[in-house]
Amino acid sequence: MKRRTLLGGAVAVALLGLDSAALAQQAPIKIGMSMAQTGGLAGGGKASLLGIEVWRDDVNAKGGLLGRKVELVVYDDKSSASETPAIYSKLLDVDKVDILFAPYATVPTAPLMPLVKQRGMLLIGNFSFQVNSKVGHDMWFNNAPWGPADSWASSFLDLGQKAGGKSIALLAADQEFAQNLAKTAREVATKLGMQVVFDQAYPPSTVEFSGILRALKAAKPDIVYVASYPPDSAGILRAVNEIGIGDNVKLFGGGMVGLQFGTVMENLGSLLNGVVNYNTWLPEPQMYNDGTKAFFETYTKRAVEAKVDPLGYYLAPYGYASGQMIEQAIKAVGSLDQKALAKYLRENTHKTIVGSITFAADGEWKESGVVQAQFRGVKDKNIEQFRSPGKQVILFPAKLKSGDLITPFEAARK
Amino acid sequence: MKRTGIYFWTGAALFLGAALLMTQVIGNQYPFFAGYVILQFIVLAVAWSILGGYAGYVNFGTAAFFGIGVYTSVFLFKATGAPLPVQIAAAAAIGALMGFALGLLTLRMQGIFFSIATIAATIIIETAITNWRYVGGAAGIQLQRPAVTAPFDNYVEMLFFVQAMLVVLAVAISRYIQRSWMGRGLQALKDDELAAECTGVPTLRLKLMACVISGALMCAAGAPGAMYLQYADPSSAFNLNYSVSTLAMSLIGGTAHWAGPVIGAIVLGTTQQLLTVTISSEVNVLVLGVMLVLFVVAAPEGIIGLVRKVRRKRNEGEG
Repeated sequence: MKRRTLLGGAVAVALLGLDSAALAQQAPIKIGMSMAQTGGLAGGGKASLLGIEVWRDDVNAKGGLLGRKVELVVYDDKSSASETPAIYSKLLDVDKVDILFAPYATVPTAPLMPLVKQRGMLLIGNFSFQVNSKVGHDMWFNNAPWGPADSWASSFLDLGQKAGGKSIALLAADQEFAQNLAKTAREVATKLGMQVVFDQAYPPSTVEFSGILRALKAAKPDIVYVASYPPDSAGILRAVNEIGIGDNVKLFGGGMVGLQFGTVMENLGSLLNGVVNYNTWLPEPQMYNDGTKAFFETYTKRAVEAKVDPLGYYLAPYGYASGQMIEQAIKAVGSLDQKALAKYLRENTHKTIVGSITFAADGEWKESGVVQAQFRGVKDKNIEQFRSPGKQVILFPAKLKSGDLITPFEAARK
Repeated sequence: MKRTGIYFWTGAALFLGAALLMTQVIGNQYPFFAGYVILQFIVLAVAWSILGGYAGYVNFGTAAFFGIGVYTSVFLFKATGAPLPVQIAAAAAIGALMGFALGLLTLRMQGIFFSIATIAATIIIETAITNWRYVGGAAGIQLQRPAVTAPFDNYVEMLFFVQAMLVVLAVAISRYIQRSWMGRGLQALKDDELAAECTGVPTLRLKLMACVISGALMCAAGAPGAMYLQYADPSSAFNLNYSVSTLAMSLIGGTAHWAGPVIGAIVLGTTQQLLTVTISSEVNVLVLGVMLVLFVVAAPEGIIGLVRKVRRKRNEGEG
């Protein structure tokens, strides 16, 4: 009897041991990334991270992936390129993460590309621009809807040409993203046979634009393509409001960064009217996909608590989509094998809350998902108005179109 | 005097030996990535202290020198594919020239005016690089590292060791200056430049020498940075953070002795690296700020000053 109890005990202990071993195997799937939480990119970084966190909570509520919980390992890169190599080396060598997500924006991502290529790691990009064009890593997949490099300049200039535009003025900040846009715009303009009548780069710290705009106005362009950053976007629109831009301008805007962020839009208010600008996701009826509405309900609630962009249209749903893509890949492949996951991501179309995504060979979207939308009927000091459709009417692409362009620009401003 | 020299060089040899051993034994890459940054800050802090500590000319232009170091490498690598030692030597030469120009500035400007001029210089140089398309301009430039040289099997390990050698070089120079006639002359001009000049201290020559040496070392410290990041963009290379951190490290460590900036850089650099991977939010900026305030209030002469005070008290107690 005693011996049997002993034996039973031993068996029980052994079973327990097995059991805990099985549990230990169920360690969470770690997704590692750095994200700007201080410095110039922090506003966007926080919104993007919140989108990814909403996905993590959703997927864990459904029981995780491969029967394991999903855990995020996130460090602050201070918006700087010099921080990310050490952070990603820690993620790989010390934290031993299973999947890598890139930090928000181009500059912190650029130094990582050779590292991940060398280590044979899959990397899901986060709104960086043409960062893989020189490195050529075949396991890079960008969540941003940029598509081919020239696609958003061509979409804007196309609209301009259809409105009868023949000459173009370029105004671009002397910074990486804006200069890339200006370069493609020049190429597309040549291709479309448009005449560039004004081409000006301005230093990033410029605050007073009336001088530049007077010169631009004097060139009498039909189309004004602006590639600017948040503080200068606001400065340019204020100057336009003061001195006007001329009656022959049919289309104004294009690549103005900042007009996608809730607080900037709230501050500018009616100054936005008439501007046609690039965007990613907008609350127009055609933009809703499976799960989009539920995502924004959760996001809006949590954004208020976390004090990040209360609208979050620009970045957050794409953070969520990064999660959805990796979720689908892991489920289909059934393992965390980087090569197999990359192969799946490259060869399939992925359904996400921001639409279907298919990747080209360079890891960018095969077809651009960038929309061009015109601000209309915007009032001052009201952020809630941007939640309703009709404030940013989508003009391009055709399948998402929700209205027609109002020209000339001066008429659309009223 | 001679015995301390033997101690110093034995220590330096042991340090280099340990760094080399680390690269051969440790397989994990993270210590090298993080260690490289700390070593780089040691060189910067020691170099800053030659002008800022010994001569009392507070230089906010560390970022300018560092960035020029980075971009010298970028230019040479892109134009000629120059190997790492050439990049570093060229950066040091350009840094020396820049230091010479900075030294001439001190002819007319002292105190806060000198400091403001160094900030202005940083902005001017950054703007110039931003507009220079060949080295990437505002968009930045991606670089592909060449193959690594034996006995290292990884480029970052090699950069770690190279930076360790720069640390030894910088510290040896700083130590020499402190103990030679130069150090005493700089000390004199720090206390009262006019009085020093009147008693026959060649102040201009000393200031020029301090600027040249400090500038050359800062640029040399920046040069391997291009290959470390494999990417360079003006806003990261000329980040004001380099100026502020370097200054804070020297002040926290203490500027009266060559060991001060070394200790300060190790303490603050390690803290920064640890905070990045632990707290990792706005709080880490706050922690650094609080540390600086605490040191300025409680230990105005830095860690070195604190140690001296404790020693003095102990000696008095014994006496």
